[in-house]
Amino acid sequence: MHLVVCAKQIPDPDTPPSAFKIDEATNSVVPAPGISPILSQFDGIAAEAALRIKESQGDDSKVTVISMGADSARAAIKQVLAMGADEGVLLNDDAFEGGDSYTTAKVLAAAINHLGDVDAVFCGRQAADWDMGQVGLLLSEELNWASAIIAKGVEYGDGNISVQRVLTDGFETVSTQLPAVVTVSNEFGEPRYPKLPQIMAAAKKTVTQFGASDLGLDPSDVGASGSRLKVERLYIPETDSNVEFMEGDTPQEQAAALVQKLQADKLI
Amino acid sequence: MTHDATVETSSNTAMTVRPKSSSLLGAWWGPAVWISATGVFAGTRASDIAGRETFFNVAQPWVVYVFLAGLVGLLTFGFVRHASLWMIGRPTDGILKEIPARLRNVGRYGAGQDKVRRDRYAGIMHWCISSSIIVLTVVTAQVALQDDTPLNFLHGNYYLFFSFYGDLFGLIGLIGVGMALYRRYFASHHRIRWDERVEDHLIIVGLGLILVTGFVVESARIIETELVQHPDWAKWSFVSWVLAQGIDSFGFSVSSPENPQSEILALHTWSWWVHVVLAFSWLGLIVFTRLDHLIFAPINAFFLRTDAPGRLAEIKDIEEQEVFGVGHVQDFTWKQLFELDACVRCGRCTEVCPANISGQPLSPMHLIQDLKGHLADVGPDIQMHRHATGDAGREVSPIAMVGDVIKDETLWACRTCGACVQECPVLIEHVPTIVDMRRFLVMNEARLPANAQAALENIEMRGHPWRGTALERTTWMEGLGEVTIFDGTQDYLYWVGCSGSLVERNLPITQSVFKLLRESGASFGVMGQEETCNGDPARRLGNEYLFQILAQQLIETFNSKNVQKVITNCPHCFNTFKNEYPQFDGNFEVLHHTEFLAGALEDGRLKPKYAVTSDVTYHDSCYLGRMNGTYDAPRQIIEMVPGANLVEMQRNLSRGLCCGAGGGNMWQEEIGERRVNHVRTEEAVSTGADQVISNCPFCIQMFEDGVPSIQPEEEGRIKPFDVAELLEAAVFGPKTDSNPTED
Ligand code: SF4
Ligand code: SF4
Repeated sequence: MHLVVCAKQIPDPDTPPSAFKIDEATNSVVPAPGISPILSQFDGIAAEAALRIKESQGDDSKVTVISMGADSARAAIKQVLAMGADEGVLLNDDAFEGGDSYTTAKVLAAAINHLGDVDAVFCGRQAADWDMGQVGLLLSEELNWASAIIAKGVEYGDGNISVQRVLTDGFETVSTQLPAVVTVSNEFGEPRYPKLPQIMAAAKKTVTQFGASDLGLDPSDVGASGSRLKVERLYIPETDSNVEFMEGDTPQEQAAALVQKLQADKLI
Repeated sequence: MTHDATVETSSNTAMTVRPKSSSLLGAWWGPAVWISATGVFAGTRASDIAGRETFFNVAQPWVVYVFLAGLVGLLTFGFVRHASLWMIGRPTDGILKEIPARLRNVGRYGAGQDKVRRDRYAGIMHWCISSSIIVLTVVTAQVALQDDTPLNFLHGNYYLFFSFYGDLFGLIGLIGVGMALYRRYFASHHRIRWDERVEDHLIIVGLGLILVTGFVVESARIIETELVQHPDWAKWSFVSWVLAQGIDSFGFSVSSPENPQSEILALHTWSWWVHVVLAFSWLGLIVFTRLDHLIFAPINAFFLRTDAPGRLAEIKDIEEQEVFGVGHVQDFTWKQLFELDACVRCGRCTEVCPANISGQPLSPMHLIQDLKGHLADVGPDIQMHRHATGDAGREVSPIAMVGDVIKDETLWACRTCGACVQECPVLIEHVPTIVDMRRFLVMNEARLPANAQAALENIEMRGHPWRGTALERTTWMEGLGEVTIFDGTQDYLYWVGCSGSLVERNLPITQSVFKLLRESGASFGVMGQEETCNGDPARRLGNEYLFQILAQQLIETFNSKNVQKVITNCPHCFNTFKNEYPQFDGNFEVLHHTEFLAGALEDGRLKPKYAVTSDVTYHDSCYLGRMNGTYDAPRQIIEMVPGANLVEMQRNLSRGLCCGAGGGNMWQEEIGERRVNHVRTEEAVSTGADQVISNCPFCIQMFEDGVPSIQPEEEGRIKPFDVAELLEAAVFGPKTDSNPTED
């Protein structure tokens, strides 16, 4: 059984607000000095889900982790390798840069087709930087596979995958034949802490790299040129707060004043 | 398990509080002086023909030698059996280096019983018993020499002196036994009963009987011989002389040519046999019971580490290891296994353990005993397996040492505070043993509490353990004017540390130290954005691999910046730089800020001008105090602050109680009855002080967290401050609004 985990490296969401900067001229995030990018947390959970299935299936199954991104994304790949994934693939090409969810899904799909024998793909429910949550679904479209998104539990048996999904008002369980794409939510549980022997083994593994031509992609279809989404303006919203103390000699009077004020502002 | 801790008080005055150092002679000089004096006195007074027949009235004295041979055989057997178990351990590095220091330790802790005496009652009791055993063994040996060799020295003045000190030490032994009996049977909840076994009764009652029968034998002999012929000699055996008169007053028959089989002779024969059989049986207990500390404790003193107690051993060539840390008993070093056998179940370690005091699932004594039991259970099989196959035999035991024998939560509850190590009379080092097992949990098994894991992941990803901090490493610099970034041209690197820069509460401490350094005229710089975790939390949580990577990187950075001297905010950074970086060839001169500031005060570079009228108590952090022996510098600073009046807590100095954060417990949920910081905060509050002063950002955080629970009323709460904050107020005056204090 061959499982693929899609992993994205993102700017650290824990970056202190004072260090988070945006270049409004290019509509892009300026990397904060001294703060390294990290693996999107949801993708770590997706890796955990894939690894648990792999472990339940025994020796001849494997997990491949794929990341599209800059050379630094190797660190994210190594992290998933250290958790126990078997192979790593980096999709790195100038042509891939500046894309949107659609072009990302397109490149990932090409890579998965290129690998050939994949049974299931696991993604995080969304990347923790842009939080769009689209790549998983678009990927299943590109591959023409079934999909089950926002999973809190995944089970596999007899060629069928059964997924417990988180809904806004409860859970539902769906099942489908493989191949399929599953996106995994934080309700699934924490990713494992890598064991040292695996960390060291991961450090020795080579990460395969593919560019557009390796995957048979036309550079004009991917990255910024293939992108359908244009960022108009990227900015840090201004937030403002005003404090007003309610006058009144007794708590009752203060409360009455508060009600009046809220009514006047049409808040109640 | 938990026990009420009975606490000893140490001196309450600030400057005389250093624990007294002692030496080999410590426990012995007093008695030695006056016994020798009595000897001289005996020499001037007594007749020079005094003497006696040594194996008086005993028909088969050679039996003693049969017993002796049996005992030697038994001891040899026991030792070989133990040793073969220790030898399944890994090699121990450096055990034959620094022999002079090791011999000094044998003198100080073995003969001088330096640690035993940390509990005064036990110290006296133990000295009485041990000195009596030693002296009476020498007495017995002299009798044997006199009787069975051509030597002839037991006569004249020396014989009288010999009679005297033999009796004296018999009496001393009885006093010791009495003290021990009282402790064991009348003092309730005494620590020595937390793991009581049958052997404990045998040992103490047996020893009492040996001493008593010894006196009976001597009294019977005196009645038969000296009391009649030489009452002036008999008096030198002063205890037996009194006892003899007592026995004699019953009117038992004494032998005479007509009546050679007297009652007294029968008493003598019987009590002699009982005495001899008991004595040899008792010595035989060495093989089977904790009496083995007679042999193992002094040897363990020889094996005691000679390097800094705050240093954890590095795993050399970590990438080449088969397993990481210790998950199987054979992965301990043989010294660690040897130690287990030395434990006497005295409970001292458990009594001072902050986790145990707070009802958390850790008792260092039980941990050591459980490991010892496990070694005895699985050791022989492992040994056989090794013999047969040559491999390590990690699969031999079906019981998991880490997990089953020693529970995960036990290992995580440890603060690595070193209180147990400090108290252990037989010099067992619990902390490295505990951390070795944590290493196994973290690196080999990846089994660790979620918060600890989050802290480690945060160190890996972000270079600091403070997940979710909104601060930057430069935030504390705001409002301080120009802050020099270290570039190798300054004398000192001021190392702020993650806690000093990324935790809101600690920023004022960092700023205080900075201002004081600047005021003192020191040439120093900081690393600002370039600081990263030095690895201490990773190492103490058991991730040695991560620690080594961080340490090597930082040493490289320090070297490339030409760092020579470092001043740290935090005693953990201090300990790591000072004691652990040399393991990786990082040799820097390291000062904790209190050491630097105390020096600056002393030579007048800092002048405390403003009074801070307040009662303050001082909390010794484990890593500045116990681990590095810096007790004086912070107290000197407090002394020099006008108006500050130091009130010591009951547990202070080397007996100080951990704040609860050590050993990575800053990032763990505590399980158990209480939280350690609540216990310690209560102790600080009970001094009545207005401020609790410490030297460590972790301690301060733990107090800040503990105070509202212990003092729910905001009014009159004790306020936690760093020594530097206190000194800042004395040097620059009270803080103004633009530079507010925490409250
Ligand atoms: S180091 Fe401290 S917490 Fe750990 S076992 Fe010893 S006394 Fe207890
Ligand atoms: S480890 Fe040391 S202090 Fe603890 S019970 Fe054993 S001998 Fe006593």
